[in-house]
Amino acid sequence: MAPLTIQQATKSFGGLQVLHGIDIDMNDGEFVVLVGPSGCGKSTLLRLIAGLEDITTGEIRIDGKGVSRLHPKDRDIAMVFQSYALYPHMTVAENMGFSLRMRGESAEVQRRKVEDAANILDLGPLLDRYPRQLSGGQRQRVAMGRAIVRDPKVFLFDEPLSNLDAKLRVQMRSEIRSLHKALKTTIVYVTHDQIEAMTMADKIVVMRGGHVEQIGSPMTLYDAPANVFVAGFIGSPAMNLLTGRIGADGRSFELAGGGTIRFDAPLGAAAGREVILGIRPEDVTLAEDGSPATIKLIEPTGADLHVNLDVSGTEVTAVFHERLSIEEGQAVALAVPAERVHLFDPETEARIAGD
Amino acid sequence: MSAQSHPGRQRTTWLIFIGLCLFTFVNLMPLLWAVLTSLKDPRDAFTIPPTLIFEPTLKYHIEVWTENDFVFYLMNSLIVSAGTVFISVPAGSLAAYAISRIPRRSAGPILSALFTIRMFPHMLLAIPFFVMGTFLDMIDTYPLLILALVAINQPFTIWLMHGFFLEIPRDLDEAAAIDGCSNWQAFRIVILPLAKPGMTVAALFSLLLSYNEFLFALVLTGTDTKTLPVAIAAFGGEDISSWSLSAAGAIGIMLPIVVVMLLLQRHLVRGLTAGAVKG
Ligand SMILES: Nc1ncnc2c1ncn2[C@@H]1O[C@H](COP(=O)(O)OP(=O)(O)OP(=O)(O)O)[C@@H](O)[C@H]1O
Ligand SMILES: [Mg+2]
Repeated sequence: MAPLTIQQATKSFGGLQVLHGIDIDMNDGEFVVLVGPSGCGKSTLLRLIAGLEDITTGEIRIDGKGVSRLHPKDRDIAMVFQSYALYPHMTVAENMGFSLRMRGESAEVQRRKVEDAANILDLGPLLDRYPRQLSGGQRQRVAMGRAIVRDPKVFLFDEPLSNLDAKLRVQMRSEIRSLHKALKTTIVYVTHDQIEAMTMADKIVVMRGGHVEQIGSPMTLYDAPANVFVAGFIGSPAMNLLTGRIGADGRSFELAGGGTIRFDAPLGAAAGREVILGIRPEDVTLAEDGSPATIKLIEPTGADLHVNLDVSGTEVTAVFHERLSIEEGQAVALAVPAERVHLFDPETEARIAGD
Repeated sequence: MSAQSHPGRQRTTWLIFIGLCLFTFVNLMPLLWAVLTSLKDPRDAFTIPPTLIFEPTLKYHIEVWTENDFVFYLMNSLIVSAGTVFISVPAGSLAAYAISRIPRRSAGPILSALFTIRMFPHMLLAIPFFVMGTFLDMIDTYPLLILALVAINQPFTIWLMHGFFLEIPRDLDEAAAIDGCSNWQAFRIVILPLAKPGMTVAALFSLLLSYNEFLFALVLTGTDTKTLPVAIAAFGGEDISSWSLSAAGAIGIMLPIVVVMLLLQRHLVRGLTAGAVKG
């Protein structure tokens, strides 16, 4: 349990720089998720925190103490690997108790702590088995058990659920979440799955190409993405990002491809200004007095209806929670509340403030 | 997928089995011949066609083990072999582990260099070793022969162990480091136990090499440390009557290896097939 600070961290492999000055402040007991597309440096950052890679420049502090030059064993962190990395020649109990054994705890203490952790994770009956005798989900639990018996300052997870099937993933997601509630230990969790990030995090760090794009709570990222990248990355289906300009009346949007979308209130940017307009699919509604559109494709997911709309040649995705009696090819009218619209500068791709 | 239930497949299995039996038999012929010869009187040994019916005698086996200092040479061989194995395998494992954990582009040249050493004709190395041995006044001592054998054996041991260590995921080293192991502890407590099948194979190969090695043993030993292969070579040759004795000696030299093989069989099969199937 400890705050974790990363200051101006950079990392180069030979001549290749993969992290470009990362600054993150994590509070004590916070669940922080690092998310971003493949190759953006999430794992590398996690491994810097763990000490599995040497930091090139910058500093990492755990509980106020600089750890950048310490061996992993001296950082008091625990890590759950994507491959689980269980020791094949040790039983579940030995795997879980290994760090205690290395620390020189008595056999009695080892046994008690392992049993406690096994109870939390429902691993009791498996303690004498070897990793090869376990299912993927059970191995995953053992890997978590190995981390929690230590009661470390910080937990690190690198895509721990990516080897599980969809159903188990959802279950483990909430289990890890409730484990965090119970243990209250700082967690840094890497994933490329934005849904995992949204559902689990207290704080999300969105990364791209070795840079931090935005840090904030899930709802902050959802409601006020700092730039086009974050806007497109968070949320599923992805936000519609439309290029064009604000209409002369300030409350309409002229699409670059032709056509106009009208809004119920001013959009919060100067009339005539070129912008990228972001609309979340779930903010689109059908209304009699809306802007004209045609239904191109309907995809029912069961719970929702995903609809591709054609607005004068520009495609707009919409998600409806209610069952609508619409069909492909039908002409409709779409409406979006002006306060739900996101505006970005086309040059810098940054959010335009004041909306 | 039961083979028994399928007549066609069963027949194929039998054909393969019979084929393998024949193959094994052909391969064992010289050995069989040696066994028979060692049990025959020299007069019977060279009749043509060879007789299968003869009066077996253990005379030559007894002679081998009781006269000719066979046991003395055997002890020399065992000392040299054990010395070689106990230096070569630990040192080779350490080197191989290190090579398996450094970046590939640094490991490549090292492995190629080792391979080159391996390809180098031993004949050309024997003379320098002799010169060095003379210079250091170590000719006819165990350490000299052991060091020489370790030297020629090392590339192979490292190559072999390197393959085994590569198969042990690095995540395990890293998990161990995070669990509180120093690099040395991670190697000793986590990695080494997993490399055991590999080490068994490496030990066996280096045992076979050093036990059977002839050239270096001939050049670097004398009366005190002569090993079995060198000694046995002197057994036969002069006259026909010593062929039975030679054969008995050949059987005698094989016996320790057969015993070791039988003892290690279980580990050996595991080691040779390790990695073939994902555990
Ligand atoms: N040991 C290394 N040597 C050289 N380059 C490396 C090394 N490790 C990572 N990289 C490079 O660093 C970049 C970031 O890699 P990293 O593994 O951190 O990505 P990631 O965000 O975890 O991606 P993924 O979601 O695919 O796991 C990549 O371009 C990768 O090729
Ligand atoms: Mg990764």
